[in-house]
Amino acid sequence: MSLVKIAGLHKHFGSNHVLKGIDLEIAEGEVVAIIGRSGSGKSTLLRTINGLESIDDGEIVVDGATLHAGDKDLRPLRLKVGMVFQQFNLFPHLTAGENVMLAPTVVKKTPRAEAMEIARKMMAKVGLAEKFDSYPDQLSGGQQQRVAIARALAMNPRVLLCDEITSALDPELVNEVLSVVKQLAAEGMTLVMVTHEMRFAREVGDKLVFMYQGRVHEAGPPRELFANPQTEELASFVGSIN
Amino acid sequence: MFTQFSTWDIVRNLLEGGKWTLALTLIAFVLGGIAGLLVLFARIAGSRLLQTASKAYIEVFQGTPLLMQLFIVFFGLSLAGVDVSPWVAAAIGLTLFTSAYLAEIWRGCVESVSKGQWEASASLAMRYTEQMRYVILPQALRIAIPPTVGFSVQVVKGTAVASIIGFAELTKTGSMLANATFQPFMVFGFVALGYFFLCYPLSLYAKHLERKFHVAR
Repeated sequence: MSLVKIAGLHKHFGSNHVLKGIDLEIAEGEVVAIIGRSGSGKSTLLRTINGLESIDDGEIVVDGATLHAGDKDLRPLRLKVGMVFQQFNLFPHLTAGENVMLAPTVVKKTPRAEAMEIARKMMAKVGLAEKFDSYPDQLSGGQQQRVAIARALAMNPRVLLCDEITSALDPELVNEVLSVVKQLAAEGMTLVMVTHEMRFAREVGDKLVFMYQGRVHEAGPPRELFANPQTEELASFVGSIN
Repeated sequence: MFTQFSTWDIVRNLLEGGKWTLALTLIAFVLGGIAGLLVLFARIAGSRLLQTASKAYIEVFQGTPLLMQLFIVFFGLSLAGVDVSPWVAAAIGLTLFTSAYLAEIWRGCVESVSKGQWEASASLAMRYTEQMRYVILPQALRIAIPPTVGFSVQVVKGTAVASIIGFAELTKTGSMLANATFQPFMVFGFVALGYFFLCYPLSLYAKHLERKFHVAR
């Protein structure tokens, strides 16, 4: 039984048909890397999984929470799905710790003391226990992104979506973020990530999904796909980045 | 026999008028702020109807002279059988005017909060009202302070039109004194100084806030 099940997913931006029937199943604890050229629909696909992009047809099921075209109440789905963004999107008026505490207190009505305890645990998990009271603008990009991960984890999601989370970082800060992700993967977190870090995808990913023109063009274990691409498009994509 | 006015008599009377200018400004600003907040929420609400109504409200008050608005309140209410004093009419008129402008200024501030903040809070399963209260408005408020203080200068100057419907604020007091003393240049010179002393500190403060928040971001 898969944790995430996407079936017959279609999405249009105006006259532009960006997702043309996506079927994808993700098992619990699986690490999925979605790759492809810009405009292939990979980010859009990721963003549909927690309802940031509406869908026009098809179905998404995450651990029993379903999403169909036109659904208005996205909360059940979003309680199961966490997300980390390319631009971090920390709340600049709150400290790192308050960023992590906000959703548990507001959404889940967790008592403050308990939320604080969760937040401290999550901040420690991403290696930033001592930055609890710092404001986002006092942190480096890598630290901000790790706080963003802690913030998502504090809601105890079943699956974590990562949308090019290292793309906005200076090269020397990429590894500190990737190592947190790697640790999450090792702990059995289900991860779906859109990434340009091919080496990381190969190393940590269980499944690689290659998107091409709004479709899943190829999918499978990363090592096999990289070593032996079945389609010309993937071969040329792999060739262009290596 | 003409009464002789000393310069001090003129200044003393103008100070009296200035008090009413200040009172009218404060009332318009406080009540206009509260009303403006309601208009703002209607303007950014999910409901089409509220959006259209609030947009029309803002367009009407921004698209007509304040003087006409005052006339309509003053004469319109008397026509409807409600007897309003110039003071009440001026307060109502300026409140409406202020609310429309503040709502529009604040809408700009809310919209300047980046889309990423909406997405991040949405992805944490927060509802619209929770996003507004905990994420968007606290940030918009910071952005809104300098332009809001800046707009208060417009309200101070706007109170001058209340003189037309006979409310004895600074300008009206000035024109009465000018008629009585035959020294319009000196009297209106003092009137202008009065406005300047009210407005200049506000502009300075707005500039200071702008600089402060600019650096902080």
